[in-house]
Amino acid sequence: MPFEPKEPQKEIKYSEMRIYTDEELNNYTEEELKNFKIKHDIPDLEELEKGPWPSFVSDAKQGALHRRKLADDRMLIDRDVIEDMLGQLQVSFDEGETHWKHGGIVGVFGYGGGVIGRYSDLPEKYPSIAHFHTIRVNQPASKFYNTDFLRTVCDMWEYRGSGLMNLHGSTGDMVLLGTTTEQLEPIFFELTHELGQDIGGSGSNLRTPSCCIGKARCEYALYDTQALCYELTQYYQDELHRPAFPYKFKFKFDGCPNGCVASIARSDMSFIGTWRDDIRIDQEAVKAYVAGEYVPNAGAHAGRDWGKFDIQKEVIDLCPSKCMAYEDGELKIDNKECVRCMHCINVMPRALKPGKDTGVSILLGAKAPILEGAQMATLIVPFMKAEPPYDNIKEFIEKVWEFWMEEGKNRERLGELMQRFGLPKFLEIIGVPPAPHMVKTPRENPYIFWKEEDVPGGWSRDIKDYRARHKR
Amino acid sequence: MEDIKKAIVEFAESSKKTKFYFKDIEKAVQKVIPDAKMREIKKACTALINDGTLIYFSTGSSTMYGLKGRGMTEDPE
Repeated sequence: MPFEPKEPQKEIKYSEMRIYTDEELNNYTEEELKNFKIKHDIPDLEELEKGPWPSFVSDAKQGALHRRKLADDRMLIDRDVIEDMLGQLQVSFDEGETHWKHGGIVGVFGYGGGVIGRYSDLPEKYPSIAHFHTIRVNQPASKFYNTDFLRTVCDMWEYRGSGLMNLHGSTGDMVLLGTTTEQLEPIFFELTHELGQDIGGSGSNLRTPSCCIGKARCEYALYDTQALCYELTQYYQDELHRPAFPYKFKFKFDGCPNGCVASIARSDMSFIGTWRDDIRIDQEAVKAYVAGEYVPNAGAHAGRDWGKFDIQKEVIDLCPSKCMAYEDGELKIDNKECVRCMHCINVMPRALKPGKDTGVSILLGAKAPILEGAQMATLIVPFMKAEPPYDNIKEFIEKVWEFWMEEGKNRERLGELMQRFGLPKFLEIIGVPPAPHMVKTPRENPYIFWKEEDVPGGWSRDIKDYRARHKR
Repeated sequence: MEDIKKAIVEFAESSKKTKFYFKDIEKAVQKVIPDAKMREIKKACTALINDGTLIYFSTGSSTMYGLKGRGMTEDPE
């Protein structure tokens, strides 16, 4: 289905919106950079420039040199922000503690999130970073930008902020690092009015939803992750910008169980593409893999010679539920035992494809280790269709929110609430029947208990009759 | 809506604290107006934010509401 924007889309032309000339953007030479020293001594940070990896310190130094050489009227916040940021970081390394404090400011007027107030607690020593607020910019689905847009944002940020940015933060947003309080409203105006770009979520809000590349570029995508991500972002604007949740809440969308955005570990509500019919097998292509005509793993892991492809060793024996067999030149899969690990499909993508009856599994409650340790999500809805207008999904989301907003304590994540109530109670409240798919480890967590009304005939008994047959 | 707004402001003015979680506001309003729904309370809060009576306040990770002018409401310099 072609993309249909819910708001009119503005075409951004960098040539019309740029702030800096090419000369200004490339205003130093390699030689100058090599000899460049920032105004603070940063020996430990410079250690981080050694080794084969790219270093944020080298990047920051480039930004610092660039700012030093810009004219005074070509930037609206202090010239030295990057140098002071690096200087303060060195102090933190020396002392083993942070000098950032955060909080206070939450957003721009009317928004309850999107801006994270950040202040230096050494403002006299590092005056340029006395205010160093972060702005979260709501990334487009799958983080597909066009370069005109990116260059325009970069110019605006060099002009009104530090020029430092983070592509992308763990929430998925494009993160603009470091500006002053006075610049927040103008930046918000430029983002929303000039660039047609909203800011993201922070605080006790729905956080910016994020998705994998989905059907745009991946044959494995089992539902349109971009469409669902966009739909829910637009539909839940109020939740994104006006905080009323007990704490943060994250949606993430993985198109298939390969889980490229790791939604299972990083979101309170994780949507993972799945199928409920059989894996499609092209037996001729399987034979071609076995004969070595096709490269396994689509050519990945080809850095060394692994020998001839061995279907038994590399696929059949690695199936976690041992539901595959290769006999007499034919691959067989016992589909009801398949746990959707994707391994066989990843190894032989030309021979195996997921089924055609596709939808999502919904998992709830993952979180990072603030309380109780990190938690992976628990499968709650084994299968649900995921087709526009996604009313079934919205209905489920709202049921979960209603419960969490009612029962959740302040600063309690959904996963913690589920733990506090226990899974049987939780399932009962949101009205999902228990299913074997929800059992994480068989025989270790037998949390499904029958109630008398669930059992035909009940279980009340005549104790006298029982005792007549069973002595105490 | 006006009743709820009034209840919110009264609670915010009378409390010893200066910053509130949404949940605390919700509970306080429901004490005065038992059938007030969460969504209505949220809408009333948003209206009070928009007219400048309430302000959002961030602890860094969660968001609270405060009465403008009470406690720390401007930049914590």
